[in-house]
This record gives sequence, C-alpha cells and structure tokens, in this order.
Amino acid sequence: MKVRIFITGIGIITPVGSGYKEIKNFIKNDNRGIRPLGLFRTFQHPPMPVGEINASLPNDNVPRNHILASIAANEALEGFQKSVDAVVIGTTTGGMLTTEELLKKNEKNSDAYKYHSAGSVTEYIARRIMCKGPVITVSTACSSGTSAIKIALEMLRTGTAKSVLTGGSDSLCRLTYFGFNSLQLIDPTGPHPFDQCRRGMAVAEGAAALLLEASDNVPENALAEILGAGLSCDAYHPTAPHPEGEGALKAMTEALEDAAVSKLDIDYVNLHGTGTIDNDLSEAKAINALFGDKKPFMSSVKGAIGHPLAAAGAIEAAISAICISENMVPANSGCENPDPKLNIYPVREPLTHDIQYILSNSFGFGGNNAAVVIGSCEGNGNPVSIRELIPLEIIGNECITGAGETDVTMARFSKGKSCKGLLPISTISRNLSPRIVRRLKRLPQIALSLADAVQQHSDTNGLPSSVFWSTGWGALSESYDFLEKLFESDQKFSSPTDFIGSVHNAAAGQIAIHYKADGPNITTTGGDYSFEQALLTASLLTNNTKESMFVIGADEYHKTLSRLFDGSVLKDRIASDGGGALLLRRTDNPGSLKICPLFFENSDRNPDIIPSLIHRLGNPETINKKFGSIFAGIPAAYRKSGEKQINEFISLTGFQNPVIDYRKYIGEFASASAAATVLAIQFVREGRIPEPLIGKANVTLQDKSILMLGTGPFVTAIEVFQS
Amino acid sequence: MEKLLNELKGKIIETLNLIDVTPRDFDEEGPLVGGDLGIDSIDVLEMVMMIEKDYSVVIDNKELGEKVFISLKTLANYIHQNRPEKTV
Repeated sequence: MKVRIFITGIGIITPVGSGYKEIKNFIKNDNRGIRPLGLFRTFQHPPMPVGEINASLPNDNVPRNHILASIAANEALEGFQKSVDAVVIGTTTGGMLTTEELLKKNEKNSDAYKYHSAGSVTEYIARRIMCKGPVITVSTACSSGTSAIKIALEMLRTGTAKSVLTGGSDSLCRLTYFGFNSLQLIDPTGPHPFDQCRRGMAVAEGAAALLLEASDNVPENALAEILGAGLSCDAYHPTAPHPEGEGALKAMTEALEDAAVSKLDIDYVNLHGTGTIDNDLSEAKAINALFGDKKPFMSSVKGAIGHPLAAAGAIEAAISAICISENMVPANSGCENPDPKLNIYPVREPLTHDIQYILSNSFGFGGNNAAVVIGSCEGNGNPVSIRELIPLEIIGNECITGAGETDVTMARFSKGKSCKGLLPISTISRNLSPRIVRRLKRLPQIALSLADAVQQHSDTNGLPSSVFWSTGWGALSESYDFLEKLFESDQKFSSPTDFIGSVHNAAAGQIAIHYKADGPNITTTGGDYSFEQALLTASLLTNNTKESMFVIGADEYHKTLSRLFDGSVLKDRIASDGGGALLLRRTDNPGSLKICPLFFENSDRNPDIIPSLIHRLGNPETINKKFGSIFAGIPAAYRKSGEKQINEFISLTGFQNPVIDYRKYIGEFASASAAATVLAIQFVREGRIPEPLIGKANVTLQDKSILMLGTGPFVTAIEVFQS
Repeated sequence: MEKLLNELKGKIIETLNLIDVTPRDFDEEGPLVGGDLGIDSIDVLEMVMMIEKDYSVVIDNKELGEKVFISLKTLANYIHQNRPEKTV
C-alpha cells in the first residue's frame, strides 16, 4: 500500500501572533515581534532585543515551555476525534526557565524540578492528549523542529504510526539568552538576516505543532503534504557552520531527493537566516550552489520573529503550510540592504503568488542540518510504499559503568557482582588526546570514549556516517557551571565554552567531528527511555544507507543536579553513571548478531499495556520459545509500577526463563539500559547466561533472544538475537 | 608590561584548561589563535569573558577581537591601554 503524509492540523504560537489567523495576518502585514527582553531581569540597560511572547498565558503550574507546547498541540488537534499514535517534539531547554529560578533560590526539593527535562515537554503533551504510542524528544539544538518532522515522517512511512503529533517548542531562559550573548552572536539592534550590516540573531521563543497523517487519498482537512526531508551533519565545528555550506547543501539535496521534487519546482525557500554573519554566509553559499541563477522566492522570518531555537523548524514548517494554503510569501524583515557578497536577494515585501512547493531549512549547533519539502495537496504528491522496520546488525558494542569498561563490567556482572559507582574521569578518557578532552566535561568524555572504544574494537571498513546519541539529562556539569558563574557574577559573566557544551547534542557533534560522520546526527532525550528512543530513531532513519552508525546512550552523575532531577538516583545510596555504545548497520548477513526495537508505549491511562506488549511479541508460547531471558529495566523511582508490569508479563505469559533486574548491578542512571544492552549482546554472543547472575545452573540460550524490557511510565521492548 | 604578559600566560592556561601548555610555550609575538597552542575561536570568546572580568576591559565584537587577539603582546597592549585606572 502506498501512502502520502498530510498536514491535517497546525498549532502555532510566536512573538508575532498565535493561531492560523494571526500568522496569516503576520505573513500579509510583515509585523515585527522583536523587543527588549522583559521576561526576566538582566544587568543590561536596555536588555538585548528578543522575540518574546507577550500574550497572556494560562497558569498551569508547569514551565513556560510546556505551556507554549501545549497551546500549539491543542490547536493542531482541534477537531481531531481520535488519539494520535505518537508524539515527536523538538526542544532544547525543557523547563530550564523554571529550573534557573529554583536553583537561584537554592530549592532542595526534587519534586520542584519534575518538569526540568527536555523530555518532560513531550511527555506532558503526550499525557494531556492521551497518546499511548511512542514519545520521542529530539534535541539537536536549532534544527530540532525540522529533525522531529523527519522522524515523524519516517514513523508514518514505516507504519509505526498512522498519525503523529510533531513540532518544536522552546521558551526564553537565562541559559540561552546569556549563552548566545557570550558567543557574541546577538545583534543589539535586532536581527537583519542577509543584510550587509547584519551582526547577529535575536533569541526568541515559541512553539508549533503539526498533526501528520498517513493516507492514500487527500483528507478533507489537509493543508499541505510533507513530501520529504533530509538530514546531515557538517562534522566541522561545535557551533560555526561549514564555511562553504556543504552540510546545508547536502541536507537540501537529500530533502529534494526524498521528496521526489526537482529544485526547479521549488517556488519558495524558507531560509534558516538567523542574521549571524557566519550562518547567512554559509547558507547563501549552499543556496547558490543548489539553485545557481534560477533562485525561487526566498526569505527568513527570523528578522520578524527572532530565533526560537528548537521551535524554529516547526514554526517555519507551519508558516510554509499556511503559505501554500493561502498562496503567500512572507517578507525577510530586517533586510534593508542585501549583502552583495551573499548573492541572495530575499523577498522584502510580502507577496501573493501561486505556491506549490516549499523548501524549509533549519541548521544548528553541532553542525546539524535539516531541510523539509512541503507541497500543496493538489498534485500527485509523493506516495511511498510502507516499509517495515528491519533489525540492524550489531558490529560493535562497548559500555562504561562504575566498575570499568566492557571487559571488567562483563566479568563482574557475570559473577553477579555490583558494577555501581563512578569511574574516575582519568580512566574514562585515558585513550583520548589531551587536546580533545581539555574542553569536555564528564558526559562528553564518556560519550567520546564509548565511540572510540566501539569503533576501535569492531572490524568494520570505513567510518560510521551517522550518530544517534541519547542522554536522559544531558550535560549537567556544563549547564550547572554556566549557571553558577552567571549567578555568582550577578548575570554579568558566563562561560561560552560551558554554553556550547550544555546543549544536549554537544557530544553528538563532537563524535561527528571526530569521525567525519556527515549523515544524520540525532540526539534523543527522555529520562530512562532515551536510549530506546535513539534506537527506534536509528531504525527509522536507516532507509538507504549501508554505512555503519553509532547508537550511544550515556549519562553523567552530577553531585548537585542528579539527585534533584532524577528520582531514581535519589533512591540509591551509591551514585553511578556511564552508558553503552553500539555500532550498527543495515544488512542481510545471515547468522549475525542483530537488534530490533519492538515496542514503545506510554503507561499513563493505558491499563492494557502489558497485554498489548504480549500481543506485539506474539503469544505466551512463542514468547517462551523465542526469548531465553529478560533484562528488566526497573528505575528505582518506579520500582513498584515496574515490578507490577514485569509480574503481569510473567503471569500472563508463564515466562519460565531468567529475568535479570539489571539496575541492581549496574546502578541508577537514565542510560543504564544502554549499558545493559551491551551486556545482553555479549550474552547472546556467548550463548549463555552465567550461573552466579541467576542463582541456578547456567542457562544456555540455544539461539534464543534476550528481551530488553523497559518499565515504569513507558514500557519498551528491544530484541537482541542472532540470526 | 612584562608582569602583565606573564600574568596573562597563567590566566590563559588556567581559563582554557591548556593541559599540555606551560608559560614557556608562548611566543609573545607569534599568532595566539590557530597556532601551536591549539587556541581557537571558542577560546577567544572565553578569553573575552576572562579579560572583562579580571581587567574590566570589554572586547565586544568580532572585528575588534581580530585585532586584539593577534598575539599575546597585542592583547597585553590593548589591556594595558584600556583598563580603568583602579585595576592597574
């Protein structure tokens, strides 16, 4: 069966208005939403210009970001009678604005921080709209919104979901306001994208949500069609774009190819156009390389809105859909004298014109590039055959735990001994060069060491081309140090290095630079299920590549923040951290080790989640035949509900084989499942589960699989097997 | 000036965590950024913060930064000429 992917609902809130009607008026009238910051106090007089939402917001006792995302989600789902199958949202700051205030007043109660994480934004939306299916939070800095749309698109193309709520959201906060300021990327006169006098961007806030539905015919309420999208990584610099725009060009070219649309058919390009000297230069080079002298209309809306970071791509996709519906093109506000060096002459007054195809760009820190092609529903569109998710071959697996690296961890775990604790930083980074590690704190050092180990120990030709990185809580040391320095100096000083390192995808960018991995570079985050999100995303995005990919999950223990943020860390006397790395590829090699994500559902108001899992895995008989062991991930904060879920599974299936409660050995940290997956792979490779671990004679796996089960607020299942 | 140069060497090593660099490795007139010390554009921004904090000298745009950070000597000269009297 062939399906097309339609945008059937849009929700949007920005500094220039919210909702379809107001945004239509914004496109028509080119109003500007850039004003000096008023949301929080700064030492500057006046404060820097930002894109701040002045509309009164409901007080839902959640951080501002969650409120914005929720407003967008509600509007997108207006009139939608069913529940969506999945939620994929891009965000970078999570509840940081609230967390900053709590940290400033030295709040010690961990309950106060329950909406801190980036993942909590998506989970909050999923709970409110009662979405049972997979929930993925994408945190690839300023390309997050567009990357989320690409992941949602592939969910629909693989039949993983029939409807997905996707988008992006970010609120202003001190971290980003002072962070971009420390990088000297803010234009004190407001942003002037592509102008010869441009000096920088304006940080902004906002959210947009798109309801995407797969259908073989055009739904009545369809606004536009998502035709295709492309992802790439510059693999060049942590913050600066590639000077020749190579990565941007690659993302645009791949988006057009994926959409089966010729560049000559593009009517309008929604440029990333932040207004920084380097972004606009690099994007202009890419645009010139792609379109030459036959350029379509083009403009950046960031002169009017500012740069709403992770929301940017989603907001611009929503604006693009409105442009297609209304046959309009927005002006490039703030560009009075186009920079002749760029050879880009953006639309400077709003236009009315027939618009069939739009290309929308988003680029971000870590060299992440994403582009999406959106088309009118009138044509034949881009029908694609639904393809199945296939298992990926495991060509390398390495972990780090408190006990040490893979061999030491495996030896202790096999004996049923504890692997909890914190490995000294000097041991973690012993194989990395001092020049690489000097700017990296604990989390990126763990990540790079894992990548290094898995690449060194696998016998693969060629370097991995893509990176799927996951972290439950992100770079805690960098975020804490940035805020500490900021607060200590009464907001006058901060560390640009810490700001760059504080983004969730910083480690993924470092890995890409190190291995020249110029393919998709995705960071997922969602507490204890972050690694499961990354593996699912890797499986969704491996459509055409035979090259290998990193799938890595890690978390660091931070002496102040870990116990405030992660309820499971709080419950364990022994602090632990680490993670696991896999090197995977798409292949048909018989007899090889493979991994496949099988199940991802939200437990909230989902009483049949375990029967649903069993149904997905087969039936009690096939489950007992197929799986030689279960590795159960039961986070300490959810021990009661997790144990109940496992017991229900055992009682409904009569499961006889060993169940290993691995957090009791590995410790409490969000990416424990990544480390446990590495150990499960070793057991499948060796074909047995050792005696001391299960308290009875060795269990021979005899070609059986290991089932990795995640429990708690989400139930996830991953199969590790040899076939 | 000699004192300021030596002080800057120590502060730069500490601020940028230049693990494998000693004060002797600095060529005071050689290129500070992009040279053997491994200092890059992100380090420049980090030094900007340090200089503003410790010497009350503001270097708030790229064009000025390009002139000031040519070498350790140009940096020391700029600080020397622009710092408020109380910090001298």
